[in-house]
Amino acid sequence: MEQLFQTIYSGILYGSVYGLMALGLTLIWGSLRMLNLAHGSLYLVGGYLAWTIIDQLHLPLVLAFLLAVAGAALVGLIMQVVLINPLLGKPGWDNASLIATVGASIVLESAALLIYGPQVKQMPTVVEGQFKIGTVLISNQALLVIATAVLFLILMSLFLRISRHGLAIRAISQDMDAARLAGVPARTAFLIVMCISAALAGLAGVLLSSIFYLAPTSGFVPMVKALVVTIFGGLGSVKGTIWAAYTIGLLEAALQVYLGASWALPGLFLFMIVMLTVRPNGLFGLGEARRL
Amino acid sequence: MLQVHDLQAGYGGSQVLHSISLHVEDGEAVVILGPNGHGKTTLLRAISGLIHPTAGRVELNGRAITRLEPEAIVAAGIIHIPQGDLLFPEMTVMENLLMGAYRSAAWRERNNKLAQVFRLFPRLAERKNQLARSLSGGERRMLALGRGLMGEARLLMIDEPSLGLAPLVIEQVYETIHEIKRTGMALLLMDENANHITGLADRVYLLEAGVLVREGTADELLGDAALLSAYLG
Repeated sequence: MEQLFQTIYSGILYGSVYGLMALGLTLIWGSLRMLNLAHGSLYLVGGYLAWTIIDQLHLPLVLAFLLAVAGAALVGLIMQVVLINPLLGKPGWDNASLIATVGASIVLESAALLIYGPQVKQMPTVVEGQFKIGTVLISNQALLVIATAVLFLILMSLFLRISRHGLAIRAISQDMDAARLAGVPARTAFLIVMCISAALAGLAGVLLSSIFYLAPTSGFVPMVKALVVTIFGGLGSVKGTIWAAYTIGLLEAALQVYLGASWALPGLFLFMIVMLTVRPNGLFGLGEARRL
Repeated sequence: MLQVHDLQAGYGGSQVLHSISLHVEDGEAVVILGPNGHGKTTLLRAISGLIHPTAGRVELNGRAITRLEPEAIVAAGIIHIPQGDLLFPEMTVMENLLMGAYRSAAWRERNNKLAQVFRLFPRLAERKNQLARSLSGGERRMLALGRGLMGEARLLMIDEPSLGLAPLVIEQVYETIHEIKRTGMALLLMDENANHITGLADRVYLLEAGVLVREGTADELLGDAALLSAYLG
């Protein structure tokens, strides 16, 4: 019973943060048809900026949070303008964009290593206090992380359903020509998608590194897990991605609780292989053109 | 209002349109008749900016709009309702319509426009929360037309509104286009069947192999059965 409770608690925590990460990946895939392998590095940008502002500059928490997320969005914007825009519409887009984003991730991770060194950083506790349900220890900080992540997942779904720009982002991922004929400026839309996606990765970085440690390599594993989530949810589908994030979060937590922490990653990959064999289009099984 | 001079366009190395010149005046319904594969869709794509013409000039009220991006051409007031509908399949009817009002000026007017479109197509109002991919062929066409009407169009370009529809539905679609014309909207229509456009067209061009071979008032051209059967078969 306590194991089950622990699983649900950790699963919701992981799932909420993976949801943020994966939503960013899936938005980029949906609109640009690009797998952004620098997504984990944008996570790092958020984490390190927050750490610097809170731990070094001792600025207020809300400010740190906003600056870290805005900083990640800015890095995403620069990446899009300097790196991705010149490749748009050129032949060999699949490979070129993949290599460009790997390059960006190497640059960002090396910069983190140069600036902050290889030592592990620990974010100071923002909200004190914890309580126990049975033997399961629940910290207020983790609850704040869950609440923030869920809030932003809800805000993102509302944005994509109601607002003019959110509708346009879904529209370009479903039919580019039709979206352009409705007056959506493709390049501006790509830029907005990249900024939002980077902001979400940065947000995930702030949230998760307030619970775990932060090092120049710690963007990689969350990105891989977000990748598992997006593939499981059906690349490009928002609803599928959020469902998949919680499924994968719960699965990872269950593997950790019942089999031990070292089983989490191999277990997830095994699960993904089985999934792709049974449902190659992901959880919601939409065809290639029917996404978001 | 729309002037096209010596327009040439194509895909890759193959030229589809050879020196097309045409014009559409305010409130006028101009129809380009031609068989499939002779460049009707390419012509509309070249005017709306989806492909860039290789030569020639397009002007709207005297302002050059050749080689602008599609969003700038939409902003100028030319709305292209493409062939095959090109809906957003995973969005609802309502969301598809709202996308037609994407530009900020149109977005502010979206509730008025929605009411107009729903008056014209009561069927869309009934289905407004359904996903576009679940609609029938006729409903899809109505949604494509409705989405085009959500914008701030001064000229509506419609590509083969009858394509792939049952005869009864075709009749409804043309009745609606008549109604749109009565609002004073300028129309540029692509079609391959002269019967559909009798009573609707003011002026007609015949398109063959990427060239406009004849131009005349609807009365002149559509009355000439021998000419039409020679070109359209």
